[in-house]
Amino acid sequence: MNFYLAYILVAVLLFSFTAVFALMAVYAERKISAFIQDRLGPMETGKYGSLQTFADILKLFQKEFIIPTVADKALFLIAPVIIFLAVYMGFVALPWAPGVSPASLNLGIFYLFAILSVETVGILMAGWGSNNKYALLGAMRSVAQIVSYEIPAGFALISALMISQSLDLQEITLRQGILTDSEVIKFLGIVQVQDIGGILAWNIFQAPHLLVAYIIYFIASLAECNRAPFDIPEAESELVAGFHTEYSSLRFAFIFLAEYSMMFLVGIIGVILFLGGWNTPLPNIGALKLAAWTTGVAWGLFWIMLKTLLIVGAQMWIRWTLPRLRVDQLMSLCWKILTPLAFICMVISGVWKLAVM
Amino acid sequence: MTELVFYIFAFLVLLSALLAVTVSGLVRSIFLFFATLFSAAGLYVFALADFIAITQVIVYVGGVLVLMLFAFMLSDKDVLNTLQKMQQKVFGMQHIAALLVAVAFLVVLVTVITKTDAEIPGWMQVSPEKFVQPEDNTANLIGVQVMTRYLLPFELVSVFLMMALVGAAHIARKEPRS
Repeated sequence: MNFYLAYILVAVLLFSFTAVFALMAVYAERKISAFIQDRLGPMETGKYGSLQTFADILKLFQKEFIIPTVADKALFLIAPVIIFLAVYMGFVALPWAPGVSPASLNLGIFYLFAILSVETVGILMAGWGSNNKYALLGAMRSVAQIVSYEIPAGFALISALMISQSLDLQEITLRQGILTDSEVIKFLGIVQVQDIGGILAWNIFQAPHLLVAYIIYFIASLAECNRAPFDIPEAESELVAGFHTEYSSLRFAFIFLAEYSMMFLVGIIGVILFLGGWNTPLPNIGALKLAAWTTGVAWGLFWIMLKTLLIVGAQMWIRWTLPRLRVDQLMSLCWKILTPLAFICMVISGVWKLAVM
Repeated sequence: MTELVFYIFAFLVLLSALLAVTVSGLVRSIFLFFATLFSAAGLYVFALADFIAITQVIVYVGGVLVLMLFAFMLSDKDVLNTLQKMQQKVFGMQHIAALLVAVAFLVVLVTVITKTDAEIPGWMQVSPEKFVQPEDNTANLIGVQVMTRYLLPFELVSVFLMMALVGAAHIARKEPRS
């Protein structure tokens, strides 16, 4: 029985994590956007407006949930649940610290990729169920964009996987630090660093072309969570709010929660595959064993959180800096620049693994 | 407990598949098909084919289903309406092909079920250690098999996909102005 209790406990823990993260991220996003646009952002509720998102979520709880009369009721009601569940199920496979992952899967990254593609079905369901032109257009744009950008993202991930030689996320992380199991790690393919660890053993420094692959993945991941500069699915000036135009109250909150959880999820996938996961950035320097001192369960959790939050911060920074791409620019960026580059990265990965490592 | 989960998945597959063919409205039945495919992926996990299960979700849910929805949304409304009107009668002319396929498939299923000894399948007695264990890394096994034993079919599939891609590019490109 305790066995099943642990399952429930982990599920509740992950859910509360996504909820708290979304609340904090909304606040952070408001403050960052305010800073970039030279404003103050929320200041009234709480000290420096820190209670603003709690007030917002309270407001959303109280609001009436409106179902449009012409909407396809069943699809309209199920869609936000599917969108959120798709993202939430992804969280279960992540390695949070050495030896700590809620479900350690042999096929971890493959599973994550599959689960994320379920979200597109949820978005289409929301768009169709709303029976609203703007919602349907937004959903179609969103799905077209996600389906196209999955290809460069997938190939960038594959080029990292070819270096790591595993689909298990915990294994991939282990091979980027001092805890590696008797394998040789080479910094840029030259210096052996399996005892030095730190930033030198991360995948992007084991094989420098992965830096390009990571940038490709980062751009594609922005498109996959429908964020600016790839936000034509919810372009406010054209489509009101895209596929979630008709949603209100708690179900709107769920869509919002899914969006912010998705940002965290794509960020953490990039961190695990390219930036060393829970491995410390500090290397061992002679007697100064910084890497050995800063490796452990608590440290691992700290590093992976720090790295992912920095990536999420970069996502927000980009959102408030760059203008929106037009749909043809979006597609030519994907098919003419990112996809060929990702293919080249994959070929280099194969050669690198055989010839250098 | 595991058995319970298995029966829940099996029930979901049957229920959603039945609803997918009986429900009115094509879009709804496509979404119900999504539930069928997803629950079938769950059943694959019980057959120790986790790789196949995940591939099913990627290919069918992420690809085929979305394509079906797109095809539906881009189709002519009148054609769809006439199609839906035709579906009223069960034993109409237009259902003969479907009936034939369904009956043939039923025959196949029934023969397989009657021929199987569910308690001790024959292949299990040959050498039990040769078969996949729950803790095996199926991706590795499949990779090795594809690169050695099934190399020719694998390459044939890649050539076939290449042909499809070239064809798609040919259809999609702009006509040169004459």
